[in-house]
Amino acid sequence: MASTHVTKRAKYKTTIKDPGTPGTLRMTFEKILFVPHNPKSAGKLDVEFRYIKGKKHTKEGSNKPPWLNLTNNQNGSFIFEFENYSDLQECRDFVGKVLAKGGEVSEKPTVAYPDEQLSAAEMELRIKLLQEDSELQKLHKQFVLSGVLTETEFWATRKKLLDREASKKTKQRLGFKSAMISDIKPSTDGRTNKVTFNLTPEVILQIFAEKPAVHRAFLSYVPNKMSERTFWTKYFRAEYLHSTKNSIAAAAEAAEDEELAVFLKQDDILASEARKKIRRVDPTLDMEADEGDDYTHLPDHGILREGSKEMTESQNELYKRSLSQDINRHAAVVLEGRAVDVELEDTKAVAEALAQSKQKSSNKGESDGDTSRERLDRLSRMTEIEDLQGPNTLPLAPLCIKDPRDYFDSQQANALRSSGDALGEIEQIKCGLSTQEVYGSLRESISSIKAMGLKEPIVKPEVAHQVFDALTNSISNTKYHIGKNPQESVLDRLPRKTKEELLHHWTSILELLKHFWASYPITTTYLYVKVNRLKDAMSNIYPQLEEIKGSVPSELRHQVSLLVRPMHQALDAAIQHYEASMQKRSAQSGERPNGYV
Amino acid sequence: MKFQIEDVTVYFPYDYIYPEQYSYMIELKRALDAKGHCLLEMPTGTGKTIALLSLITSYSLSKPQTPIKLIYCTRTVHEMEKTLAELKLLHNYQIKHLGPQARILAIGLSSRKNLCVNPTVLAAENRDSVDAGCRKLTASWVRAMAAENPNVPTCQFFENYERAASAAVVPPGVYTLQDLRVFGKEKGWCPYFLARHMVQFANVVVYSYQYLLDPKVAGIISKEMQKESVVVFDEAHNIDNVCIEALSVSVRRQTLEGATRNLNRISQEIDRFKATDASRLRAEYNRLVEGLALRGNLPITDNWLSNPALPDDILKEAVPGNIRRAEHFLHVLRRLVQYLRGRLDTENVEKESPVSFVASINSHAGIDQKTLKFCYDRLHSLMLTLEITDTDEFLHIQTICDFATLVGTYGRGFSIIIEPFDERMPHIPDPILQLSCHDASLAIKPVFDRFQSVVITSGTLSPIDLYPRLLNFHPVVSRSFTMSLTRDCICPMVLTRGSDQLPVSTKFDMRSDPGVVRNYGKLLLEMVSVVPDGIVCFFVSYSYMDGIINTWNDSGILKEIMQHKLVFIETQDVVETTLALDNYRRACDCGRGAVFFSVARGKVAEGIDFDRHYGRLVIMFGVPFQYTLSKILLARLEYLRDTFQIKEGDFLTFDALRQAAQCVGRVIRSKADYGMMIFADKRYSRHDKRSKLPSWILSHLRDVNLNLSTDMALHIAKEFLRKMAQPYEKIGGSGRKTLLSEEDLEKMGDGGMDEMLY
Repeated sequence: MASTHVTKRAKYKTTIKDPGTPGTLRMTFEKILFVPHNPKSAGKLDVEFRYIKGKKHTKEGSNKPPWLNLTNNQNGSFIFEFENYSDLQECRDFVGKVLAKGGEVSEKPTVAYPDEQLSAAEMELRIKLLQEDSELQKLHKQFVLSGVLTETEFWATRKKLLDREASKKTKQRLGFKSAMISDIKPSTDGRTNKVTFNLTPEVILQIFAEKPAVHRAFLSYVPNKMSERTFWTKYFRAEYLHSTKNSIAAAAEAAEDEELAVFLKQDDILASEARKKIRRVDPTLDMEADEGDDYTHLPDHGILREGSKEMTESQNELYKRSLSQDINRHAAVVLEGRAVDVELEDTKAVAEALAQSKQKSSNKGESDGDTSRERLDRLSRMTEIEDLQGPNTLPLAPLCIKDPRDYFDSQQANALRSSGDALGEIEQIKCGLSTQEVYGSLRESISSIKAMGLKEPIVKPEVAHQVFDALTNSISNTKYHIGKNPQESVLDRLPRKTKEELLHHWTSILELLKHFWASYPITTTYLYVKVNRLKDAMSNIYPQLEEIKGSVPSELRHQVSLLVRPMHQALDAAIQHYEASMQKRSAQSGERPNGYV
Repeated sequence: MKFQIEDVTVYFPYDYIYPEQYSYMIELKRALDAKGHCLLEMPTGTGKTIALLSLITSYSLSKPQTPIKLIYCTRTVHEMEKTLAELKLLHNYQIKHLGPQARILAIGLSSRKNLCVNPTVLAAENRDSVDAGCRKLTASWVRAMAAENPNVPTCQFFENYERAASAAVVPPGVYTLQDLRVFGKEKGWCPYFLARHMVQFANVVVYSYQYLLDPKVAGIISKEMQKESVVVFDEAHNIDNVCIEALSVSVRRQTLEGATRNLNRISQEIDRFKATDASRLRAEYNRLVEGLALRGNLPITDNWLSNPALPDDILKEAVPGNIRRAEHFLHVLRRLVQYLRGRLDTENVEKESPVSFVASINSHAGIDQKTLKFCYDRLHSLMLTLEITDTDEFLHIQTICDFATLVGTYGRGFSIIIEPFDERMPHIPDPILQLSCHDASLAIKPVFDRFQSVVITSGTLSPIDLYPRLLNFHPVVSRSFTMSLTRDCICPMVLTRGSDQLPVSTKFDMRSDPGVVRNYGKLLLEMVSVVPDGIVCFFVSYSYMDGIINTWNDSGILKEIMQHKLVFIETQDVVETTLALDNYRRACDCGRGAVFFSVARGKVAEGIDFDRHYGRLVIMFGVPFQYTLSKILLARLEYLRDTFQIKEGDFLTFDALRQAAQCVGRVIRSKADYGMMIFADKRYSRHDKRSKLPSWILSHLRDVNLNLSTDMALHIAKEFLRKMAQPYEKIGGSGRKTLLSEEDLEKMGDGGMDEMLY
């Protein structure tokens, strides 16, 4: 049955009563082809499958002959009479398969690309977003697949999500691993004493970043003086010597091999960098400056061999490197992040890219003179006592509410306080402003923006703070009134299923309302149709909400009805508006029958 | 805000004030009125510094006919910068409210290394080379030579400063070191000498302890401070140690070798001068006959470190005849070095009193006490005569002379201890001869005598009655303030066991037990995963920290810790530690979070704050006792017992606990801040140890938190952090107010203050 076409003898009838034209029926995935045996007869048929909408057929065992009735989208039908039921079955299955396939094809692409050509990447991004966010996926399923909203409409309100996702994807850079490079453990083959190190460019980059002397040595030695392999062998030899903590042996080996000595010695580049960096350090922790004032610890002054101070062995200092130094250096490099953004493939390329980026940053470090300014800022931040001051006006980061549930909670409290009058109030305000005034204030603000440019925080921090305060205040109020335990929100007291359902309804209502209000004023028939669709979907929600209310235990019913009330209000408002505008419309044109409910 | 304390209008640069700050000011004012000394303990994180500064400046503003000068001593340069920054805030506020009459001059003073702007001098590595580099360009004979020969290099900044003469003044304002450098560069004047000059006129001087306590430095810098000054020692819990260190000298083999080299060099110089300019040596001889004409009229640049003995103990008479001639003096020094070398070649530990030591010098090397006493002054005079500028090369002989002068001057309160090797490393011969001071009151006595009021303040001065005994003074006010908290923002705990219920301790016999090391590691690992931002760990010593880190590294615990937070470590290298701290703060700022490993009694524990997100948790691993087998410590304990009747055990516990309290106290800066403190050692649960902690920690240490294991501590930490994350009322809940506004203070003026405060 997996064939790509079916060919059967059949009679083609235009109506049931038509005796039919005998001929051959050939069906492929694309089209239906009927060729009468008699070339002169007029029953030739060539229909593409996509016009076919449905199929009917007679049942085996009924007294009717084996007929297959295919209906097209113009409500016409093609009836074929087969010679026997098995032929009918075969054709029926094939048609069913093609229709199913066509349905898939026609469902997806027609919904996905109705009027825009999406790139594969964008599609992928959307799919990824849906996968990551189950809530979004639910909404998508509920509205797009059921046809309430089209794919474009759905995503149009989420442009930001798409943009941000896209921009984030390019900007995010991977940092270094938090594991230390000394944690690279060799693998042994178990028989000989040979060990093997696996070096990836990733690791090499980290080594270069943490040990500038190795980096410099690599640039100057490889490949002129030695191969890359010998270079790394020597490096690990040196690391091994370090790990044995035998500084005398290290000194001896270094004396014999000058390249090895490079790895064993203290990193002079680091030392000079440190000296440069120390000038930019926060003055409130600059301990190096203390040494300048410490006349008690002139060489041999003060108390040397007391319990508190300790001596270090100074022999072979040159070849000694402590674990603490390594750890500090590692953490500093991880913190600085990865400066290089090249594809990590070739070690040489990695080394050179790193060198370049370093030069850039050192140039920058020299050029910018406002480090002292920054130092002072940090100093004053360290000295102020926060809570003794009045409200603070620090530059605020823009608020980004990840979880709308908090907002939901607070909204409920607002609804409690002023359930009825909110709508009216807004209307009043709207009415109070004349067009002139609105125009005037708009002009004013535009000219002020022209004059000064946009202010850095677009919303004044105080205003934002006030709004935020108001919001959070009512959150805590609700909690105070309803939940005794601060960690518990109203929702947490509901059964899990109810809670999820409520949240889901809330988000879906939000989605619908968003689209609903966005389509006013209705200017095109497209919007008209859309509004109708949305209205139907919204009116379907009412019974569902009632059902939820009914399903919860009676002691929670009040809570739930409190939660449901704002949803009802929002929906009521939308439907009211819909009906009002419908009446207006019908009054204006008078053509449309008033048959919408 | 501004308010009245009796007759003084206090200007305070914030809108609110903590009640304990207010009562702190009242006590301080009483001490100023009584013109006496005072001792005030106030918990960290309650704004001591700003309370001090605003009361004292306001006090002197309200009494313009008798202005008092404020000498503010900090332990470190960064604390100095912080104090000056706070003062700047205060000064701006006062000017805003009082106008130009509130103008004061406040400067910070540090060494050349931190103030010099001459790039050639600044290129030198350490402080002593910078000092010497400066002298090479600015010494009076160098400048005299440069006047004749333009090829002799001088310092442009200093020349400009000299040329400006009396016009070289700093306009009123608050100057941090950075500000001074900028100002100096702008004007082309040397900021160091400018600052030293301005110290006499400034209303507020901020500098290091040593500029007042160490006679070597104080002799030059602080000689001319007026009596009507208030001296403040901030963070003074270690002041006794600073005092005894200022008067202690030790001599090692390297010192003696260096001294011999120095003597050879001096003798060459003497020969050279004899050949070319013999009159100069003769002039010096004559000067010495007349008496010590060194002090007072020296050009400012020629000053070197001053006499190591305290000013009252320096003999004001002519140098003895036998060392007036340069060659004779040289011979005396050679004999002294020879004698000390002989004493260093000992097999056993020797302990001697200065009196018997001087007697033995007299009998073996033929140098009497008076000659010893004059060693320092004679050397200084000789070096000036010989026009030696590279003073950093002559530190060794200077050490020997300091030693001689001190040993000749003091018979009591000191002892001489000779050890052939360090007890912790008996295989390495490293003989050392130490003259150690045991009596902290010696060095600070001149300060108490000279100045009208001395304020000693810190977050940890418990037990507060011990300090007057150690320092031998009588405070007119001595008080310890508690902290009024809006919420329980500190959470001290004592952890005695690991999760496996085995006790943890750094007691000598337990500290290297693998179980203890593992339990400590597990504790940190658990905490790292629940505590946000910064965590600070203090260990009892560098060697212990090194050992434990290596073990953790080998066992993989360190790697797991790194999965959660970056790790930074204090090392003995100051530059590296500073950079590590800077990175640590960055890591906390950017949200990555970090752990800082540090050492109690180390430089970080002394002066770096880990407030706010820089430290949400401090873990003190072990009890930071001193190394009790140290001979010097034993000698000091003996002295304390005999002189002040302080028991050895009491002193050791007091000392260890003040260090521990100091370490954990660094987490709190204000009442909006919060932090946890874990004392991880079973010994902390004992009452005799615990009770030595300052009361503000003890009052929050609940009984249930006294004997915790790791998992219980983890649970408490989680609870605590959740509680702290909730919004709260800043002003304080019902009843007690923890934040006072101007109105509250006015109301309190009418009475009923006591009920609000206590």
